[in-house]
Amino acid sequence: MLNEERVVLMTKMASYEANEGRKNLDIGSYFRNDYIGWQVLKSIISATIAFVVVFAMYIFYDFEIFMTDIYKMDLMEFAKNVLFWYLATVGIYAVIAYAVYTVRYSRAKKSLRTYYMNLHRLSAMYRDKNN
Amino acid sequence: MTTLLVIKQTLLSIYSRYEVYITPLLKFLLALFTLLLINSRLGYMGSLNKMTLVLIVALMCSFMPMNFIVLVGAVFSILHLYAFSMECAAVIGAGFLLLFLLYLRFSPKDTLVVVLMPICFLMRIPYVIPISMGLVGGPASAVSVACGVIVYYMLRYVTQNETAIASMADEETAAKFKSIIDGLLKNKEMVVIIAAFATTVIVVYLLRRLSLDYAWTIAMIAGAVVNIMVLLVGDLIFDTKQSLLSMLLGTVISFLIVLVLQFFVFYVDYSRTENVQFEDDEYYYYVKAVPKVTVARTDKKVKQINSKRR
Repeated sequence: MLNEERVVLMTKMASYEANEGRKNLDIGSYFRNDYIGWQVLKSIISATIAFVVVFAMYIFYDFEIFMTDIYKMDLMEFAKNVLFWYLATVGIYAVIAYAVYTVRYSRAKKSLRTYYMNLHRLSAMYRDKNN
Repeated sequence: MTTLLVIKQTLLSIYSRYEVYITPLLKFLLALFTLLLINSRLGYMGSLNKMTLVLIVALMCSFMPMNFIVLVGAVFSILHLYAFSMECAAVIGAGFLLLFLLYLRFSPKDTLVVVLMPICFLMRIPYVIPISMGLVGGPASAVSVACGVIVYYMLRYVTQNETAIASMADEETAAKFKSIIDGLLKNKEMVVIIAAFATTVIVVYLLRRLSLDYAWTIAMIAGAVVNIMVLLVGDLIFDTKQSLLSMLLGTVISFLIVLVLQFFVFYVDYSRTENVQFEDDEYYYYVKAVPKVTVARTDKKVKQINSKRR
């Protein structure tokens, strides 16, 4: 016999798994710190690439002046400046990434909790049927 | 109105029944339209302009995720620009790279805006996007809209200054580079439009979430007005020379398009609003329930009244 309630529940869960649930299940397979740490690391790498791109553009923008100035300028000071801007960019970006992914993780966990609750309900329904 | 509602219901049911076919078809059409537009505007690389190639790539896009269209559009633009001038391709490629690295990895849902924004700009109704993103998106959509505006202005800069860039000799790489970056960064019109659109998204978002009757309509009107105001103030300060007539006309047309969107996404009957109160162990609830307007589709039933002949 078809159990209507069970079919409705299974359909809902299957649709969840196929859509937003897929991502949430993926997130849920990590421990909180692992997930956030991994995402922040990826963000730091992206920010580093982005910084390199912007820095290259900056150098190329006034390439001739830069090449003539390079002998006159204090290279240590220049390197310190670049390092400061690099750390500032990556730092701010990492903080934003940390905030975004913390919220995402807790949202995913919350929605997965409902999903697991439904799973329990489903298995309870099967148990009831068998008994 | 009832006819419209019936049409809406029919459309929705057709979509839900044939979703498997309609979604790829829409993606295909969007990809095709985007690529043809890029080819017609930038078309510097002959081999990319071939219709067969465009069709194959558009077909590929139809079964890939939506973000793939953005990627393909970016690759096509960069290749065209590479054929035109290496420096242009480098600068705009760097721009795209920064967008992908810094923003689009956060909000993959909004990526579509980056494609739709330039298309709407070319159709002269860019105001559709900020208002509708305020209605269906969140405040973070303001950044996506800004990214779309940046992409449009980057590509427009190249098409507008085609002759100037082409006339620079090949040896002047550094000078070319500098002039392109200057042209992109010192574009005041772009800054004004970004400010206007970002404000619009946020205003529309804040207003449509209010627990007011007709909140969506109020949000749309306020968004359109705020948009025009900011554009006019920007015009006064930076002298961006935007035509007031096209701005007003574009806003009115955009408003009508967003009305259609509202009809599909959020069509409720405020005259039947119910305010209810109840409590449980932990909370008091003050609930305002606004019913959606729906009509029951007339299902045609064929009833056989004559008995079958033997």
